[in-house]
Amino acid sequence: MRAVIVEDSVLLREGIVALLRENGIDVVAQAEDGPGLERIVSGHKPDVAICDVRLPPTFSDEGLRAAIEARKRHPGLGVLILSQYVEPVYTAELLASGEAGVGYLLKERVGDVRGFIEAVERVAAGGTALDREVVAELMRARLAGGADDGAIAALTPREREVLELMAEGRSNAAVARALVVSGGAVEKHVRNIFGKLDLPASDDDHRRVLAVLAFLRAGAA
Amino acid sequence: MLLLVSTSAPSPVWTRWSRDLLFHLAGCVTATFGLVLWCTLVPLSLGLAITFFGLVVAVASLLACRWFARVERRRAAIVLGAPIAERYAPAPDARWTARLRALLGDATTWRDFAWTGLAGVVALPLSGLAVTLWGLVAGFVTLPAWYWTLPDAADVGVWEIGSLPRALAVAVVGVILVPVTGYLVRGLTIVEVEIMRWILTPRRDDTPADEGAPAVPGDATPGRVLALPLSLHVSFALLICTVVAIIWIATGFGHYFWPIWVWLPLGLTVAIGVVVVRAQEAPPSQTRALRAHGEFWVAISAFLVSIWLVAGAGTFWPFFAILSFAIIWAVHAIFALRDRLPLGAREQQLAERVDVLTRTRRGALDVQAAELRRIERDLHDGAQARLVSLTMQLGRAEERVADQPELAALLRGAREDAGLAIAELRDLARGIAPPILADRGLAAAIEALGRRSAIPVTVDADPDQRPLPVVETAAYFVVAEALTNVAKHAGGAAARVRVLRAGDDLVVEIADDGPGGANPAGGGLTGLRHRVEALDGTLTVTSPPGGGTTIRAELPCGP
Repeated sequence: MRAVIVEDSVLLREGIVALLRENGIDVVAQAEDGPGLERIVSGHKPDVAICDVRLPPTFSDEGLRAAIEARKRHPGLGVLILSQYVEPVYTAELLASGEAGVGYLLKERVGDVRGFIEAVERVAAGGTALDREVVAELMRARLAGGADDGAIAALTPREREVLELMAEGRSNAAVARALVVSGGAVEKHVRNIFGKLDLPASDDDHRRVLAVLAFLRAGAA
Repeated sequence: MLLLVSTSAPSPVWTRWSRDLLFHLAGCVTATFGLVLWCTLVPLSLGLAITFFGLVVAVASLLACRWFARVERRRAAIVLGAPIAERYAPAPDARWTARLRALLGDATTWRDFAWTGLAGVVALPLSGLAVTLWGLVAGFVTLPAWYWTLPDAADVGVWEIGSLPRALAVAVVGVILVPVTGYLVRGLTIVEVEIMRWILTPRRDDTPADEGAPAVPGDATPGRVLALPLSLHVSFALLICTVVAIIWIATGFGHYFWPIWVWLPLGLTVAIGVVVVRAQEAPPSQTRALRAHGEFWVAISAFLVSIWLVAGAGTFWPFFAILSFAIIWAVHAIFALRDRLPLGAREQQLAERVDVLTRTRRGALDVQAAELRRIERDLHDGAQARLVSLTMQLGRAEERVADQPELAALLRGAREDAGLAIAELRDLARGIAPPILADRGLAAAIEALGRRSAIPVTVDADPDQRPLPVVETAAYFVVAEALTNVAKHAGGAAARVRVLRAGDDLVVEIADDGPGGANPAGGGLTGLRHRVEALDGTLTVTSPPGGGTTIRAELPCGP
């Protein structure tokens, strides 16, 4: 898998590059500002771009804007945003550019090497990787937005846990690993959730995740 | 020749010509009145601008202009068949100040005003010329009947009229001149009535009231209504000045340059128009009236001095007039600028001190806001980044000792602690200077607050609002603190946040439907009040028991 990385802090950039390379991901180029992202993406055609939100020259949300722009210009490019903050506005803007092949993680998640590598691979493969803080924001917005028809309240605590893990973008197998239960048990929970939320059932992990995200975001508007 | 045929019976041509004549006869009377109005009431109201009496005269002269224009619109009906349309903004059924504002803001009023000014330079010469032409023709045609009353040496042009045959010949010429005059006068009529129509017809955008849009008196920009008529006024005045000068030259350079007596009054009428239009177009300010007033006196003084010069420059009699103008203007200036007058030494010291304090307090707040943002950035780029790097290294180490579960668990614990430290730093940084506020502005930051809040919050904020950072930060923290209070005390209530501009103020309002009865002297509210008052703002808390709580902060955004 080929990845590029855009991060202005040398310390973090080099750390992430080392971490990715140790785990067999080919980091083909690095940049440190918004325009650099477009340059290396069009030059190297990577599977995934890992990008910091706050970048020079403005040190505001330069990285996010550049990443959304890159997704428009290069369909199929996975974009994983790293940030020290979770902002609902940013999340909404990123997801509005398409839910497939996006990720938004807090920076400290890179410490969980296994989880981080999984997230990078998922995004590169067209899946989703959302931080649990992002999912919590989405759930809160869904509940507070007034659009909730009690569907989430009808879930059992376990089902809610499964829903949140799915919204982070995890496959059924990964949910099972995280909750230390059998794959069959997760399957059953997922069937119940989809039934209660009235979502179209699917065997495909990505599609299930997208259905869950669409459901959560529908209430946040 | 068609013309002669048509004279055989009462025809539209005769009707038209007689109407034209009637139009011009009436025009000579009304236009003289307009000229008098323009040269008396209007200067009088400008001259007395500072007194209440001046205001009364100004309103009276505007009403007189209206009345004059109504008469003129009806005069146009003589040739047009119907009066020129008029559309005044309805007078509001309110206090006299509101009525006055409506009168001044009505574009039609200013159209009437413009035509009053033009009457003297457009209608009077044109109508006067038309009446004179017809008078001459009538004189020619009827000459045989009265030629004997002429003094002996009387002549018409090159002819001496001393006998009946000669008089008859002149009558014949007069008859031939009838159609020529008829068409000439027709032309004059068309010019005059078209200018009248152009000036006096209301435009669609004059009074937005009947288009369904809210009627905002004063929005019709009277300056724009007046600017074009003024240029017409100037052109006509120049034309007339040139014509009289040519006449003076053609009549053999009389020893006395009499056209100056046309030039000077015309110059004065133009000067009055220029002063009014300049005053209309200037942005409203304390000194606008003073400036217009001064300009007017300068114009009048120049007029008087010119007359003095032309009249032989004897004793400088305009001195007294100019002196009194200067005194009146000085009184006006003292009233208008009294808060800029030099103060006593003690007052001056205090004023300077207040200036310095205001400036330094604002400076301190600006520095504080900048400082907070710098701290947030330093945390982000320094401590937070190092902690992230630390968790990353711990994570990598953890991977390498996967075969030593005890060591791996230790490393994992360290990593999780570092993660907690990062989360705490993040909350701290957000509390100091939320990055979204700097990145996306107040509206987005408040939306984010609303989403993060434990209670349902609706936000109504204009996303284009970008006040100064220090004001923005204060507004943000007012909302943040108020929402925290609502969540803490108003048990499950919903809150509504509004951010709007009221004049130069940014108004932030947080209303909840909780139990009310908040103590305005409570810790949280006092903190907010200090924050707002440091910016010369005001914080009001309305919290009747059982009636919800509304916190309203007004933050000045002016310079």
